[in-house]
Amino acid sequence: MIIALVGLAVALIALGAGGYLAAGGLAYAFGNAYLQGKWWGMPPSYGAAIANVVVLLLVVVMVSASLLSVAERKWSALIQDRIGANRILVGGNPLGGIPYLIADAVKMLTKERFQPDQATKFLFNLAPVLAFAPIFALFAIIPVGQPLDLGQIFAVQGPVARVSIALQLANPDAGLLYLFAISSLAVYGTSLAGWASNNKLALLGGVRAASQMISYEVSLGLSLVGTMLAYRTLRLEEMVVAQGYSSLGAIPNLGILLQPVGFLIFFASAFAETKRAPFDLPEGESEIVGYFIEYSGMQFGLMFLAEFVEIAILSGVITAVFLGGWHPIFFEETLKLRLTPLAFAAVGAGAFLGKMVVLMWAQLLVRWVLPRFRYDQIQGLCWKILLPGALVNIFVTAAAVLLDPSLRLLAIIGVVELIAIFTITAAVGRAPATAHGHGHDAAHGAHGADAHGHAPATAGH
Amino acid sequence: MPYTVDNRPPDLREQMYFPEILQGLKLAARHFFKNLFFARDPNPDFIERDRSLNWVATLQYPEEKVVYPPGYRGLHRLVPREDGKARCVACYMCATACPAQCIYIEAGEYADDPVEKYPVKFVIDEMRCIVCGFCVEACPKDAIRMDSGEHAPPSYERAAQIWDEKRLLRGPPVSYQADPWLRRGSPSIPPEKLEEMRARAKPFPTVATDEASQTPGFSVRALAQEAKERTGQ
Repeated sequence: MIIALVGLAVALIALGAGGYLAAGGLAYAFGNAYLQGKWWGMPPSYGAAIANVVVLLLVVVMVSASLLSVAERKWSALIQDRIGANRILVGGNPLGGIPYLIADAVKMLTKERFQPDQATKFLFNLAPVLAFAPIFALFAIIPVGQPLDLGQIFAVQGPVARVSIALQLANPDAGLLYLFAISSLAVYGTSLAGWASNNKLALLGGVRAASQMISYEVSLGLSLVGTMLAYRTLRLEEMVVAQGYSSLGAIPNLGILLQPVGFLIFFASAFAETKRAPFDLPEGESEIVGYFIEYSGMQFGLMFLAEFVEIAILSGVITAVFLGGWHPIFFEETLKLRLTPLAFAAVGAGAFLGKMVVLMWAQLLVRWVLPRFRYDQIQGLCWKILLPGALVNIFVTAAAVLLDPSLRLLAIIGVVELIAIFTITAAVGRAPATAHGHGHDAAHGAHGADAHGHAPATAGH
Repeated sequence: MPYTVDNRPPDLREQMYFPEILQGLKLAARHFFKNLFFARDPNPDFIERDRSLNWVATLQYPEEKVVYPPGYRGLHRLVPREDGKARCVACYMCATACPAQCIYIEAGEYADDPVEKYPVKFVIDEMRCIVCGFCVEACPKDAIRMDSGEHAPPSYERAAQIWDEKRLLRGPPVSYQADPWLRRGSPSIPPEKLEEMRARAKPFPTVATDEASQTPGFSVRALAQEAKERTGQ
């Protein structure tokens, strides 16, 4: 398993290097064509963009989203002491359940596409696209790797060598505003799906989804204002660069250090935006409410996949804004000195993808730990806790940045907040000792495992 | 396992909610990593599994099967004699005792056997059977047992669940010293084979529900003795 983890790290770094090589290669081809006046004069950045679409959107996002649908089964099984999906064998080997991916795809694509008779046809067909496309487009601004000159990737000379290549599809000035704008488009997909199905329960689900997403967009937007103030930019790429400097000794200015409260509020709000448990009110299975209940086949598949794409995107945004993006954080100076620029950038991209993997895991963990909220609790959490918290966070951040532009004060405040959170968590209370012990015995201690062998003997207590 | 739920009001830390979430995540993560990094003990007797490292309790059913406890009433079998014939004498006691009326017997006559009567047809509808074991209790010749240790195997047709004497007649043969074909001899059994069977024959049990005539390992007397010791009388 250690070998598997090392292999994963190597694969991620190789993926980063492959991304740079692909982007650099296409940019070089486009640049040469540009200089010779061929290919309708398309600049080399177009080549890099095409390669980035393929590598980042199709490989990174789609592959991680579809693997997440398998991981959801296997990881939830591990959390609940089960084995998980392993019935599809390839040469007698379940391969960790990954063949289920193909089975799912075949099932989704070959199922009948059923449409209710009274549905609004155009909107009914448009809704899955509207639910999926904006989320997919969000990854365009995620900076997976740092910018490099083409000359640092390939040994080329001339004006082409100064073309900047980054593992980032677009770097608009609006940055985070683009994120908010596009992510709020996704609500159209869900509410239109609920409305166009001409089904009361679907409409209920759509209304729930719409109200939940609109509520949480407020705290989602406000929770990132603190980072905007601290890093004085909206561009994600500049935020990542700013997180490389340090104001508190050797500790870098990571977003999670400067803005722990902002991080938690953003995480909770973005989780609510993904509409997954514990915020999965739009799709109540027990009360058959759900905006997509009338959908079947790949139209349902798109909505299903959109959830997993959202997980990947959310991990990317958090990595870029709060976890230092492509900074490897540990041994960064050594790596920078020892490695070539391309190798360092590949390690950075690998670090970004690794952080994404950890965050995706954390999201699935949260999804399988927390029970779902009641609807009024969801709205109460948003308007009574997250929103005031985000506002206070903005004022505190603004004051700290105003008093001490070197961010040192902000970093100290953040560290104090983090320490407070972990102290309260680690403090031994009366409740966890007994409640935890009981749950433990009931869960897995009753079968004579060494550590919990007393459970059957004391069955009468 | 009964335990009492602590219904006291939540304390301050629990009302803060977030620290408790972290505790829950810690617990789930511990399960995740233990089950991920350590191999599962595939012991089919999952009660005896070593679950100190890996907590997975799953039994991969078709590949790993639980060993049934002694006394488990499995699929019926017609107990054969050593010469391959059924011990059954077609007395209809099992069919009479059966509350589900799932046993159908047609009797026939042996020309050359001291038992004289045998089942030409012995059919059990396993779908109708309620697995009460009355047929085993009723049998005076220890000719039907439920000690095969098998679940009713699944099938796609109902017809496959109707077991006739050819399918039911299986398992290890049983002989008792009191068996007529051993005491009086049988023209259909060669003499040397008869001697071998006599040598292997068991004494007939004095109590009908004892282990000699019943499912191996299951004994009413032993259970009664255990109960006596437990209550201390």
